[in-house]
Amino acid sequence: MNFQRNQPRDRTLPVDLTPMIDVVMLLIVFFLTTAQFARMTRAAVDLPIERGEGGQAVEEPGMLVNLMKDGQIIIDDKLIDLVVLKRIVTEEIRQSHNNQASMMKVLLRADRDLPSERLNQIVWTLQQMGVGQIRLATEVPR
Amino acid sequence: MQFAQQTSQKKRTRILLNLSSMIDIVFLLLLYFLVTMVITTPEDRLSSGLQARSEEASGQRSDFQPQVVEVAMIEGAAGYRMGSRIFRDAASLRTALDELQKDSGLFIQVGGGPLTGFVVAAFQAGHDAGFKQVTYVVPKQADGPGG
Repeated sequence: MNFQRNQPRDRTLPVDLTPMIDVVMLLIVFFLTTAQFARMTRAAVDLPIERGEGGQAVEEPGMLVNLMKDGQIIIDDKLIDLVVLKRIVTEEIRQSHNNQASMMKVLLRADRDLPSERLNQIVWTLQQMGVGQIRLATEVPR
Repeated sequence: MQFAQQTSQKKRTRILLNLSSMIDIVFLLLLYFLVTMVITTPEDRLSSGLQARSEEASGQRSDFQPQVVEVAMIEGAAGYRMGSRIFRDAASLRTALDELQKDSGLFIQVGGGPLTGFVVAAFQAGHDAGFKQVTYVVPKQADGPGG
């Protein structure tokens, strides 16, 4: 008769991590993709370093216009000129604001080294189209 | 036969959890957050009304005259002009704005010459001083495509 001591059995807890890995990978892909979109709408602009109004982060940004240091206008990663800007703003007013330009919100992401002449030109264009309010983007100092 | 030893010894159960997958995930997440931390910088905004430059904008005919700050090149350097007073930086402008009445709002006339960062600093000073309404007064521009 074999009365050898029973060997202690190694019991591995059956926790299957595969679904969790799948989910986390999907989340990572999602965040990377959305970050890519964010980079598309937000061009690499050196914004003026100011504190801003504070507490506005959750507010809808409205239409976003990037103004580069050399005066170029970029919307949705596309380089445009003033004529195209007017057309885009007109379309936005017609589609999203029932032709009420005063309801239109434009966020200007202007480079801190952009000459004010060009800023004035853009703002003048918006004002002439009936846009009642703009918001100037700032980079919050760390 | 040795039965005594078998009954007295505790039956030990070792639970083994394979953590290598979780470590992989944590490293990926760590990498992701490190990368995105570099990409995105915190941003805020300064709201401003818009008005074309006119006599009304400068407040000459109004009973309640708004405070007007002009941002322009003054004697060869960027500066802020409020009445006869000239300020060379936003901090001194802010100090002066603190002393003013805030009800009638603040008009900021932007001339040619200064950089946008200098202009935006005036809006920040107006906001910090407590003006509820800060208006961007833009000079008339020549019509045309303007690239």
